Amino acid sequence: MLTEQSAYSNRWRQVSPVAKGFFSLCGMVAAFTSSSPRAALLVSLTMTAAAVLGAGIPTVRYLRIATTPLLFLLASGLSLLVSLDFGNPVTGVSLHMAQSEIPRVLQVSCRSLACLTALLFLALSTPLSDIIALLRRCKVPATLLDMMTLCYRTLFVLSEAVHETMTAQSARLGYVSLPIALRSLGGLVSNLIVQVWQRSMALHTAAEARGNDGALRFLENRYAGSPQHITIAVASGVAMIALTVLLP
Amino acid sequence: MTDDILTLDSVSYRYPDGTQALDNCSIRIRRGARIAVLGTNGAGKTTMFLHLNGILRPSTGQASLNGVRLDYSRSGLKSLRSQVGLVFQNPDSQLFSASVREDVSFGPMNMGLTESEVRRRVEEALLAVGMTENAERPVHNLSYGQKKRVCIAGVLAMQPEVVVLDEPMAGLDATMQEELTAILDLLHKSGMTIIIATHDLDFAYGWADEAIVLQSGRLLASGNATEILTQENVCKVLGAKPLVAEINRQLSLIGIDLRDIDYMPRTKRELLQAISAQTRQEN
Repeated sequence: MLTEQSAYSNRWRQVSPVAKGFFSLCGMVAAFTSSSPRAALLVSLTMTAAAVLGAGIPTVRYLRIATTPLLFLLASGLSLLVSLDFGNPVTGVSLHMAQSEIPRVLQVSCRSLACLTALLFLALSTPLSDIIALLRRCKVPATLLDMMTLCYRTLFVLSEAVHETMTAQSARLGYVSLPIALRSLGGLVSNLIVQVWQRSMALHTAAEARGNDGALRFLENRYAGSPQHITIAVASGVAMIALTVLLP
Repeated sequence: MTDDILTLDSVSYRYPDGTQALDNCSIRIRRGARIAVLGTNGAGKTTMFLHLNGILRPSTGQASLNGVRLDYSRSGLKSLRSQVGLVFQNPDSQLFSASVREDVSFGPMNMGLTESEVRRRVEEALLAVGMTENAERPVHNLSYGQKKRVCIAGVLAMQPEVVVLDEPMAGLDATMQEELTAILDLLHKSGMTIIIATHDLDFAYGWADEAIVLQSGRLLASGNATEILTQENVCKVLGAKPLVAEINRQLSLIGIDLRDIDYMPRTKRELLQAISAQTRQEN
């Protein structure tokens, strides 16, 4: 929900999604062209600055959103460093850390961080409807985009249904002890499956009633001043890539 | 062109699970009329509506638009659905795109109109329901009443001749109900035929020109709203009488005949006006 709020109410909301999308893409390319961890870190810093200073996402909120993926990144970085060894004569199995792997792991982690911040920049500055419209222009298959649209909308309908059912269950003491909570949870899940089925039928009927015959078509938003924004995004994005290539 | 825009002739419909939802129903919808459809829960109102828009096909009997039997081919349905718009009861089951403007554009885009025409219609529809300022907002951040308006705008943007609304007043606060009534009046004045399913007998009595009353899938009565809704058998089935009609009757029993003024009050406002006019006369 935090991501959603930022996407709709940031300073760069009215900037063309093409510009933001291209800049984010440049960030990801730069992550791969950077030859050293230092360059990749620089890309991460640039993308974070673009989100926090440019789009005006509050720092605390940015950190809260970034925490979860950062934890995943940390976990995967550590697991790359540590490996299991089955040849230990005493215990049979042992953990050991490969010193020689450190530079490579550092490089991979920094690159991932750069990609992560680039993606976060796009997600926090652009509503999903704009991103989908952008992907449509990039000729991504319509079926995939229709599924994205429906998933996105259904996510909120579902989370509301979950919330309502859980509140109703709690009101009748559905979560007072662990066994009861487990039973309630079971009830919630089975109820949700039926609800999802019914809601999807209702959505289908509603789409049909408005003359739909398969593909979902919507009007795209228009953005004022897009050419300038796109020019700035292209220039800064390409400069960033060039810098990572040149930086030792 | 016939006077009746939509007709159902001896339509029966049985759901795949065996429920007989409509049983030999014949109704006529007069062009430009305001029609209220009443009946207890499960009487078949929604099923009837789904027939008007071609979502369901009668098991027996037939449905016609402008005197021509409905054509259930792909192109036939496309033209039917652009002429008969359907607003569902639960807005969450009708709205499925990310932002308000996108959702309203869905119908006209399906009609295959040009982009500029779609854009024009969407803005018009948003203006008609007073949602222009919320056009950029995501649908899930809207209140229930606002979602309802977006649903209506989504149908208006298709510029249908008939708008069918399934219990539009359910869940709305008094102010919102009044605003919605104003929107409906506007549509009626522009010549649209409006069909509404409702449980609000007083609203139906005050608003509708004609009423259709269903009972367990059968047509119980149809015709002039003020006559039908005060019939003994209809009131018995619906479990209530229109309050304004009841007050009229009680007043006439104690010797105050509001018919002295040249019309019969149908809404609360008209009734209050009539009473104060009457008291002024007596003073």
